[in-house]
Amino acid sequence: MTAKQSTSHFSSFTLFLRRECFLLWNNQENVIQPLFFFLITISLFPFSLGSDPELLKIIMPSIAWVAIVLAIMMSLNSLFRDDFEDGSLEQWLIGNRSLALIALAKIMVYWLFNGVFLAILACIVCLSTNISFEQIKVLFASLLLGTISLQLIGGIGAALTVTIQRSGLLIAIIVMPLFIPILIFGAGAVTRSIAGESVAGALYTLATLAVLSITFAPFGISFALRNTIE
Amino acid sequence: MWQAIKNFYHRMGTPREFYRIAGYWIPIFGVCFAVLFIVGAYLGLVVAPADYQQGDSFRIIYVHVPAAWMSLFVYVVMAFAGAIGLIWRMKMAFIVMITSASIGATFTFIALATGSLWGKPTWGTWWQWEARLTSELVLLFLYIGIMVLYSAFTERKTAEKAAAILCIVGVINIPIIHYSVEWWNSLHQGSTVIREGGPAMPASMLTPLLLMALSFQFFYGWLLFIKARTQALTQEQGSSWVKQIIESKQVK
Repeated sequence: MTAKQSTSHFSSFTLFLRRECFLLWNNQENVIQPLFFFLITISLFPFSLGSDPELLKIIMPSIAWVAIVLAIMMSLNSLFRDDFEDGSLEQWLIGNRSLALIALAKIMVYWLFNGVFLAILACIVCLSTNISFEQIKVLFASLLLGTISLQLIGGIGAALTVTIQRSGLLIAIIVMPLFIPILIFGAGAVTRSIAGESVAGALYTLATLAVLSITFAPFGISFALRNTIE
Repeated sequence: MWQAIKNFYHRMGTPREFYRIAGYWIPIFGVCFAVLFIVGAYLGLVVAPADYQQGDSFRIIYVHVPAAWMSLFVYVVMAFAGAIGLIWRMKMAFIVMITSASIGATFTFIALATGSLWGKPTWGTWWQWEARLTSELVLLFLYIGIMVLYSAFTERKTAEKAAAILCIVGVINIPIIHYSVEWWNSLHQGSTVIREGGPAMPASMLTPLLLMALSFQFFYGWLLFIKARTQALTQEQGSSWVKQIIESKQVK
């Protein structure tokens, strides 16, 4: 029986992976908007800080991290919005598939198309400031690991506020404090690498946080959805 | 014995019984708070000797440290109350959680404000991006998030459950936030009360601090009972026991 159950869990996971990929392919604005938002945000900083290349070289990776946190936060609003409005979320609630697995599949697809693309874009932007390839690698690794946790933890915030109409700012307020540790270790890894120190500690911690979020956040999301949708 | 505890627990869970029992406890908590506060403040502000390094400015710890302890304690109370409410669908647990939020946020704010008042003469600056200050600030954000989330829902039952979930997610995150911020930067003086080899503080300074900490506990309990009682009355305004109370007040 357990073997049968596990295959059905696996098949529903892959089914929802395909569904989410298909949906994102058809709603490409959900992929493109965070990227534009990121580009616009990151280009605001030179306007306010001045164009000193030496200064920008040091702070650009940290700014990229902040801009990515903001871009992911802005994209959270649409995570469950469409599924709630067209009623599929309620179908999942009463259906016998595991809601946590559905949420995990959904967020993995979002991570693949938002998190990974944002990380690549951030590295391209940072290359323009002449930082070394070694530091770009650290930035890319920290962003890949960090965005998983950001999107999973943010998913809990999105699930809690899915029934509220204008929830954009609300998500930001409730999710921002939970993002702080990831921002600290992510941006910390890059600043340490610029200072020539070891980055292993920060990257391992980011990986730990990612594993913890993958393990626990889907259950948090499913619990939140079950309790806020009546 | 176990049965008696269970009975008491279930009775406290209903707003009606809570209202009755809290009515007895409010004066007791109020008196305990007042006595401990007066004695503690007198011992701390008048009797305790001035610090050989910091002079009289150290005396702000008699408000600052108890407020900082309470800010964490109240959050843990909220998370427990939220979990009890979610698991056993207990009305009073949610009321305790929600009324604690504003009290806890105020304690956090007091800890931050007194800390920066103390920081100006001692560190020479109002604010430092330093580990403990920053994690206290993040704690304030968590409190604000819970209150904002609760007030965003129109349906009270959904609001209670959503706030409780956020509370539990937050309590899991507090140690992570604390250690990440510690890793990031630390300047705050080390812990003087709880450490190996006993407190690094003479008894004349420590006793008032502990008295003040205890008085803050009673203050929290006192405020919580008053506020939770009011909240219980407001929520249950349609039920007959509330009407009875209102009628009995009107006759007098």
